[in-house]
Amino acid sequence: MAQKPQRKLFSRKKVCRFCADKEAVIDYKDVKTLRNFVSERGKIIPRRIVGTCATHQRQLCEAIKLARHIALLPYSGAAQG
Amino acid sequence: MRRYETVFILRPSQSEDEINAIIENTKNIILNDHGSIIDLNKWGMKKLAYTIKKEIQGQYVFCDFAGTPASVAEFERKFRIDDAVLKYLTIKTADAISEEEIGKAIAEADAKQAAQVRETSEDEEHTVVEENETIEETTDED
Repeated sequence: MAQKPQRKLFSRKKVCRFCADKEAVIDYKDVKTLRNFVSERGKIIPRRIVGTCATHQRQLCEAIKLARHIALLPYSGAAQG
Repeated sequence: MRRYETVFILRPSQSEDEINAIIENTKNIILNDHGSIIDLNKWGMKKLAYTIKKEIQGQYVFCDFAGTPASVAEFERKFRIDDAVLKYLTIKTADAISEEEIGKAIAEADAKQAAQVRETSEDEEHTVVEENETIEETTDED
């Protein structure tokens, strides 16, 4: 019973951003969008926090890793840190 | 024919002529193998997210093309030999592409480029704002 008010406070309906907007494409060249899905340290934010669906999280993950390979995103730390 | 996308980073010290020479070489390798260039774009000088061969900046070149696996292997071999190329990435975007599709893709790329030229002034403003934001972020963390 004690959990109920807590749930009300913290649960917000998370919707996959890429399912909601069909036109948004996941592209490793689009750093602006990818930045939203990595932490300040450059880590990929888990699905349970950003709320993307499994399919899109997988594509995102792949895109972020490609972007890291060509130095568009950092492997760790902030850019030029 | 397969459709590929290549991005490669060149040393910032390279002059415009040297960059063009490298691009020309890559182009020739693709074209000699009966491939065709769909889009070729110089992104210009960009800050790297991490240092590569002690460089903190690099000249990015992007190329979208239809070609054979052999030509990809060939220019990647050249990139590895060339000291001016810091890093490269080639990804396959389509397993097969027909002549018609190539024509269509080229037209699309041209249209996109024309639209981009019109928006450049706007884009420049945006990038300036973004850079300021990133600087603030880094100082916060430290």
